[in-house]
Amino acid sequence: MRDVGIIGVGYTPVFVSKRKDVNISEMISEAVDAAFRNTNLTPDDIDAITYGNMETFEGMNMPHLWGADHCRAIDKPYMRIATGGTTGMSTLHSAYYHVASGMHDVVMAITWEKQSEGDSQVGLGGIVMPEAVCMAQFGMDLFGGKGMGAMGGGSTGAAAYQATSYLHHSGASPEHIDKMAALERSNAALNPYAHLRKKTTVEDIQATPFIAWPLRFGHTCPTSDGATVVIVASGDKVEKLADSVAWINGVGCGTSDPATGNFIEGQITDPAEQEAAKMAAAKAFAMAGIKDPKKEIDMAEMYNGFAHQSLMWLEKLGLCDEGQAHVMLDRGALNIDGELPTNASGGVFSTNAIGASAMNRPAECALQIMRKIEGGHQIPKKIKNAVSHGWGGMFQYVTVTVLGDEPRHG
Amino acid sequence: MTFEMGEETRIVQGMWDISTYQYMIDGRGMKLLVDSMKEKKIRGIKCSNCGTVYVPGPTFCRKCYIDCDEVVEVQDTGEVMSFAVEMADVRGNPVEDYKLTAMIKLDGADTWIIGTITGIDWKDARIGMRVKTIWVDEPVGSLSDIDRFEAI
Repeated sequence: MRDVGIIGVGYTPVFVSKRKDVNISEMISEAVDAAFRNTNLTPDDIDAITYGNMETFEGMNMPHLWGADHCRAIDKPYMRIATGGTTGMSTLHSAYYHVASGMHDVVMAITWEKQSEGDSQVGLGGIVMPEAVCMAQFGMDLFGGKGMGAMGGGSTGAAAYQATSYLHHSGASPEHIDKMAALERSNAALNPYAHLRKKTTVEDIQATPFIAWPLRFGHTCPTSDGATVVIVASGDKVEKLADSVAWINGVGCGTSDPATGNFIEGQITDPAEQEAAKMAAAKAFAMAGIKDPKKEIDMAEMYNGFAHQSLMWLEKLGLCDEGQAHVMLDRGALNIDGELPTNASGGVFSTNAIGASAMNRPAECALQIMRKIEGGHQIPKKIKNAVSHGWGGMFQYVTVTVLGDEPRHG
Repeated sequence: MTFEMGEETRIVQGMWDISTYQYMIDGRGMKLLVDSMKEKKIRGIKCSNCGTVYVPGPTFCRKCYIDCDEVVEVQDTGEVMSFAVEMADVRGNPVEDYKLTAMIKLDGADTWIIGTITGIDWKDARIGMRVKTIWVDEPVGSLSDIDRFEAI
């Protein structure tokens, strides 16, 4: 396979709760234009386009066709991707495959969500609609919690069960979730493309109410409007077109049992087990020639709809031993200037335009490697290897991308 | 003559009625389960190859990918594998009565269910805690024949 590098990133000027001044296609075009501006490329340089968002959040089946002109996709190969929370990274992986295979040289990956135009709870409900309808017919009280069921946890859903299980098995305390939340929100305050940008203390987080113990309001992500575009190129095109690059050295994807939601076929298991994450990480690290991720990875961008997940993923991806993430947090290792800066961007937990959320992770890694971070969250040390992660589905679908300052092969 | 670009943008209300969709689902394992619940029993399906017991039972083993039809009864007692305390409703509004819900592994089953636990202060809830099923007085063959779980 050919070497593939990220040569540019374009964001919408802001990620906020509600963009009232633009419609969906106009919003996407802002990020497309930014990607061209940041790379000095034009639409003529682009061979193909991949495009990702989740249809149920806006209730629109084929937004890529509405927006084909704004995406500068007219007359080009154009592929739409929708894999839940992982959509953004799956869209990047698709672009990677387009180029690594030799089919295309320069591909633009477009990801976005404009959640203010829909209803997030309805959108999430769409994931389990057939199962939920069936379970209700067999007498399940879907939200009341009576009887034998498959759903619970209130508005956080099974994330609360995941957090409880994770705390129990890792030895971390609920206060570690508060601490991780405060760290990431404070990182987000430095990032002009973050949504919730306020320097936050542990006390600020602890002043927010519990939604479903152990998760507080201050542990949960926002819903955002925004778009992220990444341009990838083959090795020879990188030399011709780019002034800086972050190489995509490993990609991995894993699927396991749903853990929650599909009760009909007896599939409910531990949402904190996350075999899919271990599988995807092992594949991506092997491909990138990373033998000891604990030593070789310089930064991490984890997909965290909830603040406990940043800690959990570090362990599941093998960036530290099980039960060690909160110890690293306590000694400052996860800070921007620490040994393993984690979610220097503020994470999904601070900015969540869902279709773009798993793209913002590798996009942040790429900008950190290229030292092109805008705002105050540039990691001071040199980044040789970075790992980014996406999560979604019914708790069981995980993507991992390993990026580096040089091409590496396993 | 030139077209004047105005300020006007309209927001239109859309509706996508999901109640018009019809989904086909294999409900045999669910029927086996709710029929057994009429007798205050809990039945699932065991894989003849790997021995995994699913409640409710699918018609095939997800790990071995073979058909399975061996009906097994599991206990109505079990162990709390994880739990949460619901302090707000699905829209995030605070509620007055906290509700302790848990992922429970029934004795004899390998898959988990979710249920409400009563009879214990939520602060005393623990992973590994034992619970028992509290049945409704007159079961009708419904998942709601289990009223709740109580700590043993």
